[in-house]
Amino acid sequence: MTRSTIKAPSLLGRRSFLKASGAVAAAAGASSLLMPSSAFAQDFPARNMDIIIPTGEGGGADRDARAFASVWGKHLPTNFQFGYYPGAAGQVGYEFYMSREPDAYSLIFANLGPEVIMLELQDTGISVGEDIVFIQQTLSEPMCVWVGPNSPHRTLEELVEVGRNRPITVAVSRLPHPASIGMLALGEALGIEIVLVPYGGGNPTAMAAITMEVDCAALPITNSIVLGDQSIVLGVFADENVAPDGTDNAPAVNAALGTSIPALTSSRAWGVHRAAYDAHPERVARLVESMQATLADPDYVSAVEGAGVPSVFIDPGDESVAMASAQATIELARRYRDLLTGS
Amino acid sequence: MDMSIAGLAELFFYSASMWWVIIPAVVVGILMGAIPGFAAHNTIIMLLPLTLAVDVNIALTFMVALYCASHLGGGIPAILLNIPGTGGAAATTLDGYPMSQQGKASKALALSFVASIMAGLITSGVTLFLLQYLSQVGFYIRSVEMVVVMLFGLALIAAIAAQDMLKGLIAGALGLMLGAMGADHIYATPRGTFGILELFDGVPLVPALIGLFAISEALIMLEKRTIAPEASARAMPTWGETLREILGAFKHWFMMLWSSLLGLIIGVMPGAGASIAAFVAYQQARTYSRTPEKFGTGHEQGVIAPEAANNGVTTGTLVPLLAIGVPGGSTAAVMMVVLQFHGVPFGPRLFVQDPILAYGVIMSMFVAYIFMLVTLFPLTRYLSRITVVANYYMAPMIVAFTLVGAFVPRNFMADLTIAVAFGIIGYIARKTGYNVAAILIGVILGPLLERSFLLSMRISGGDPMIFFSSTIGNILWALLAITLLASPSISLLRKMRRKGDIY
Repeated sequence: MTRSTIKAPSLLGRRSFLKASGAVAAAAGASSLLMPSSAFAQDFPARNMDIIIPTGEGGGADRDARAFASVWGKHLPTNFQFGYYPGAAGQVGYEFYMSREPDAYSLIFANLGPEVIMLELQDTGISVGEDIVFIQQTLSEPMCVWVGPNSPHRTLEELVEVGRNRPITVAVSRLPHPASIGMLALGEALGIEIVLVPYGGGNPTAMAAITMEVDCAALPITNSIVLGDQSIVLGVFADENVAPDGTDNAPAVNAALGTSIPALTSSRAWGVHRAAYDAHPERVARLVESMQATLADPDYVSAVEGAGVPSVFIDPGDESVAMASAQATIELARRYRDLLTGS
Repeated sequence: MDMSIAGLAELFFYSASMWWVIIPAVVVGILMGAIPGFAAHNTIIMLLPLTLAVDVNIALTFMVALYCASHLGGGIPAILLNIPGTGGAAATTLDGYPMSQQGKASKALALSFVASIMAGLITSGVTLFLLQYLSQVGFYIRSVEMVVVMLFGLALIAAIAAQDMLKGLIAGALGLMLGAMGADHIYATPRGTFGILELFDGVPLVPALIGLFAISEALIMLEKRTIAPEASARAMPTWGETLREILGAFKHWFMMLWSSLLGLIIGVMPGAGASIAAFVAYQQARTYSRTPEKFGTGHEQGVIAPEAANNGVTTGTLVPLLAIGVPGGSTAAVMMVVLQFHGVPFGPRLFVQDPILAYGVIMSMFVAYIFMLVTLFPLTRYLSRITVVANYYMAPMIVAFTLVGAFVPRNFMADLTIAVAFGIIGYIARKTGYNVAAILIGVILGPLLERSFLLSMRISGGDPMIFFSSTIGNILWALLAITLLASPSISLLRKMRRKGDIY
């Protein structure tokens, strides 16, 4: 081996390497100032995404978030880590989410109806829009009132008739919930007393209705649909029942009873810190782009139906739609504040 | 919902052919169950990507075997180190650990393993034949009845307090007060949280458990060289002695049968779980024992009852999921996620569309317990040696491992602080003669009692007579009264007999 051959590699020796890399870094730095921010979006996500679910594992939010993530990975190549933070009607999950680094790697999977009501009614210090932005809506479903298979009340009219003689006990997931508002509005409209009994989650609420500990349950309609023969839907808080097959062709509450209760829905939506939204617009844009691609993917429809949720509830909506849903819920919460807080 | 004997036999051999799934799941389950904080549902969540990726039969078999094994594993640190791996094993410490301190660790382990495995076999066997009847239990046990069931568990405080009434009751009351922290069940208004977010959902069980038992125990351990008497350090039980200890456990067959069935029934009740079952079983065993005064001092039945009950619960919690479609506990809820992901229906539709899968879940449990029989001998013989390891090695290891365990369930750094705070409470309680088990019973059962109480009162519109409005509830009240009166009555009768006043 000659000396020259030994020296040959020094064409890129330490000093040269440092100079070259310095130049490359400088060039990269300079170009980054000129290049559009989407160039950074190509590097995002560089690590796993954290999904915060403000309810327990095995619930509706878990089911829907996992159905979404099972397809999302195709459009956003990374892994999704789920964390469950139930408690205080969702407050624990939201407060924990706010304590996370606002870098767009942490997202919250929100159930807009109950959780926005909770944020409005409880002293959380978290404000929709100022602290959290809902960037993409995925699903929307109406609230419904239903009974267990052995219940003596087979129609909404029969249930109301019972209510003319004694208070009707209604199992709900929690007091700050659109389904609770629906039942309170129904009681107000018909002059019957409604007693809301919060069981702290969809599963125990369903169990209370099935075992007839209470007269009926009020929940998002999917909870009833996935239970199949174990539930009989009496009425839907919507203008029409868009899922007649899985709900015994139940009528709309207003049509059956002549009331004018506003349509009560709850939408699932992805939320991100306002600080991340402002500081990392390119990351948020990448997230939204991949979420919309997921929602347009036929595999997502299969995943949703596979989880027992009718695909008719897939309701893609961009930030403006999701934030408008949240705002409408805030107004509803303000209207029923006294009844929901017991004040 | 019924299945023929031939069908069950076929299912048994099919489940047994899944040995390659069951054995690793049993090993992982025992290990995770033995580490405080790593309960079955945490482990299953960690392994969810794996279970979602494989066939649903394999996934369910793996989860069920892991679930059962974790309950068996939970008794190991309870007996050897006075550290329950799960809430369900807390009652096992009451007599298991005193046995270890007396140099009878291998015997206590044999009792625990035999009780756990036999309970699992009994309850899964019973469930296979009586599933449709068991699923009806939930229809009769509602919030009103749950209040009485909780009171059965809380009655154990009185039993513990019998040794020092004032201190026992103070410890129980402290536990209830700590258990009342967190958001209230109706309006979600925070109470006694001092603004600490991590306490909004109440005092977290695992950090409290780890603090009261593990950390305080580690501090106490430093005062002695080893857990077991030094004399027992020399001898490890021979295989023959191990066999005799295992066979000796079978003399408590009736206690195993009764406690496991009690666990099964409590497991089927919505909202109940292994902790309640174990405390209730222990309390029942003590009440009707001929030697109640021996409980708490290293009594064999004090190990058998809670271990049989907490393993009986494992089958029971799956019944509501399979029969009704609503999970009966956190592990069953995670299993539901897997079923949903695979598009498998649950509840009655599961029995119509895929009865093999439905019964297969229970049969997998039965087979998993049979496989656990293999672990009996080596675990019993070798694990007892932990009690002769020098405490200055054990104490730091316990603190390190258990603090990780305190962090795992919720991933809150504050849970480490909560564990240390409870450790200090536990240490002070032990040094001053207050029973930490009584504190823990209050922490565990207090919030459950309050929830059921408030739900009942809300349903009744504030009328307390609702607690006496159901037949089952009234029967349970009568049984509670009998239980509370039985122990002093039996003691009085024995005393009179000894004096010769009665024959």
